Amino acid sequence: MLKLAVFGGLGTLFWMGIFVVTYRVLRYFQRVEGFGDVLAFKLLSMVLVTFFSLLVFSAILTSLSKLYLSRDLLLVHAMPVSRERIFLARWLESTADSSWMVVVYALPVFLSYGFTYRADAVYYAVIPLVIVPLCLIASGISAALVMLAVVVLPATRVRSIFAFLGLAVLILLYFTFRMLRPERLVDPEAFTTVMMYLQNLSTPASPLLPSTWAYDALRESLGGNSLSALFHTGLLLSASVFLTLLNLMLAGSIYFPGFSNTQAAMIRLIQSPSGGLHRLLGFLPNATRAFVIKEVRTFWRDQTQWSQLFLIAALIVIYLYNFSVLPLEKSPIQTVYLQNLFSFLNMGLAAFVLTAITARFGFSTVSTEGPAFWIVRSAPVSIRTYLWIKFWIYLPPLLVLSEVLIVCTNILLQVTPFMMGLSTITLLFLTPGVIAMGIGMGAAYPDFTAENPTQAVTSFGGLLFMIFSAAYIGAVIVLEAGPVYTLFMSDLKGFRIPAWQWIWIYGSFSVAGLLAALAIWLPMRMGIQRLEAGTPSGHK
Amino acid sequence: MIRLENISKHYGSTQAVRSLDLQVPQGELFGFLGPNGAGKTTTIRIIGGLIAPTTGRVFIDDIDMQREPERAKRCIGLIPDRPFLYEKLSGLEFMRFTADLYGVSGDGLVQRAERLLDFFGLLERSNELIESYSHGMKQRLIMASSLLHEPPLIVVDEPMVGLDPKGIKMVRELFRELVSGGTTIFMSTHTLKLAEDVCDRIGIINKGRLVATGSIAELKQAARVGDADLEEAFLRLTQEETFDAPGDYAN
Repeated sequence: MLKLAVFGGLGTLFWMGIFVVTYRVLRYFQRVEGFGDVLAFKLLSMVLVTFFSLLVFSAILTSLSKLYLSRDLLLVHAMPVSRERIFLARWLESTADSSWMVVVYALPVFLSYGFTYRADAVYYAVIPLVIVPLCLIASGISAALVMLAVVVLPATRVRSIFAFLGLAVLILLYFTFRMLRPERLVDPEAFTTVMMYLQNLSTPASPLLPSTWAYDALRESLGGNSLSALFHTGLLLSASVFLTLLNLMLAGSIYFPGFSNTQAAMIRLIQSPSGGLHRLLGFLPNATRAFVIKEVRTFWRDQTQWSQLFLIAALIVIYLYNFSVLPLEKSPIQTVYLQNLFSFLNMGLAAFVLTAITARFGFSTVSTEGPAFWIVRSAPVSIRTYLWIKFWIYLPPLLVLSEVLIVCTNILLQVTPFMMGLSTITLLFLTPGVIAMGIGMGAAYPDFTAENPTQAVTSFGGLLFMIFSAAYIGAVIVLEAGPVYTLFMSDLKGFRIPAWQWIWIYGSFSVAGLLAALAIWLPMRMGIQRLEAGTPSGHK
Repeated sequence: MIRLENISKHYGSTQAVRSLDLQVPQGELFGFLGPNGAGKTTTIRIIGGLIAPTTGRVFIDDIDMQREPERAKRCIGLIPDRPFLYEKLSGLEFMRFTADLYGVSGDGLVQRAERLLDFFGLLERSNELIESYSHGMKQRLIMASSLLHEPPLIVVDEPMVGLDPKGIKMVRELFRELVSGGTTIFMSTHTLKLAEDVCDRIGIINKGRLVATGSIAELKQAARVGDADLEEAFLRLTQEETFDAPGDYAN
């Protein structure tokens, strides 16, 4: 009940937030004389391209799992049902699973367009006629790609597809980002004339993209051109029917052979361990070394993990790119002040990136033991030791990553040595707390039955981790903000800080330090207690 | 070697094990029999330190499992009924992982691991990832790894599930050999023939309660089945417990 209330409440808030923000942005655009509508429709076009890309990517991962990797597939294929029917049932299930969230959060955007442009009933009738076929097309393209990929790649190594997909997503993200050219939207000076600027904004997207048909249908219905809207809706509907039939034909010929090959046992030979890694980690206690080596080997041999790495790399590249294009010199505010302000905000941003990475790898680390967790429970190693080993496994790489992030962005921002020092020290103290929260809460809310570790992240415990981690980062940043501002201004304007302010500064930093210590200790304690009290999995 | 004192285990309103008292001396092969859902696996989990009992105490070689779980677990080689392993490690790597976990080291470690893998017919495929092993191979790998640290006690749940006839014969002989060398084995099984052939003593559990313990002859005597086999004695002992109160079904 509590889970439902938390998830439902957050979901509704987020939904309303999207509606309010979109509505306000559109109202603002309408006030821009001359090209307000152009901006609004450019935004709609971008939104639809993004939704379509998200739908395709999400459907690729879901259909691969539903059609080839689910545990129940052997039972399903043993039933006296035709392959096309099995495919159809699984594909529809995959379509619903992969698109419901995008649909739910696309609705407030479309509704705000309807309200802003005072659309008639035709527009609201067109919305579902656009969304449903768009989802079916995205899912249809994905299913076809997956079926063909399983035939092309060695089927026994189907999971390698994830790595391939990860790379594809990285490229897709990069191109989408570059195609949006967000910096030009706010920098008309880059264009020789306003006319060129408007012309650039008005450039239509490719007519071959289903998202363009969806855009045309929505735009025409917003303008009251029902007949034209019907034509573009018809394009979407006919394309979705065509893709469904094409996939059914494909499924009849290549789905089962691909599935059958996937089931064949994969034989991978591993070079006889020479003991090099053992010697290298010889300084560690035995149990620690056992878990470190196991964790490293499992990680590198599981290609499903790699796609996540690609995504994280894409996230970091975009993050760093944002800093490299900040037009600081054009700001009317003093550059030094702005650089340091950004550097301060950047600490929070870097910590949020760290939270996202910890959620994927740290939070799910206990759950990834899966049904083999009985090995840990029966071993002569306490749960306390086991969890602390996990903590120490994840701390060094994540600490290095967060420090590299903050140093690189600070260099791009050309901040003062004081801010460079403050941010690196803050991250040094923040990172262990975020990792401990991830490991501890992942142990408190484990999911040993999850087929994919990412499922653990989207659980109730995963959500709680994100909330607590965000609150922790926010609290530390707020505690530091006031004292840093005072120190900074005194340095800039050359005034002396009175004694009471020094007490306040030391107090704030001490409380931040205490919070950092509690953020390590409390979640780890909770994780240990709850994991010790839990029932073992996989050994009934 | 094993001492269970007044062990009970509740799962919510279900009582899986009720007031279980049991002692298994060193060097004995003790068979633990019972119908489905009788509480065998729960008892094995408690002995192996995978779960804590709701009440009562467990001693392994006089070490209190609650107070010194790591020390107690070091004395045990646990073989569960379902062979879930780290699929991305090879057989040999898993042996090495187990050795590290149990603090087994020394120059002869790899040779010892290879000898065990060879004994269980896994040496040729020891450099393959476990994910390509069959159910029976995984079961044999767990057996091999559980012997790596030479534990004085082996706790095994349904050892023959997934094994081929050759494997069953091998395990049967291995258990007798280990017991003759002083190792204690606590084995839960549904295979009454196996229990009859290899066990020194048998305990029968039904509805969480230990209904009888003793040698085969003593069990037959308790069940009043004369010269009939263990199956007859088992059915009688568990039936009496089940059907003594036919009203239970009506209610």
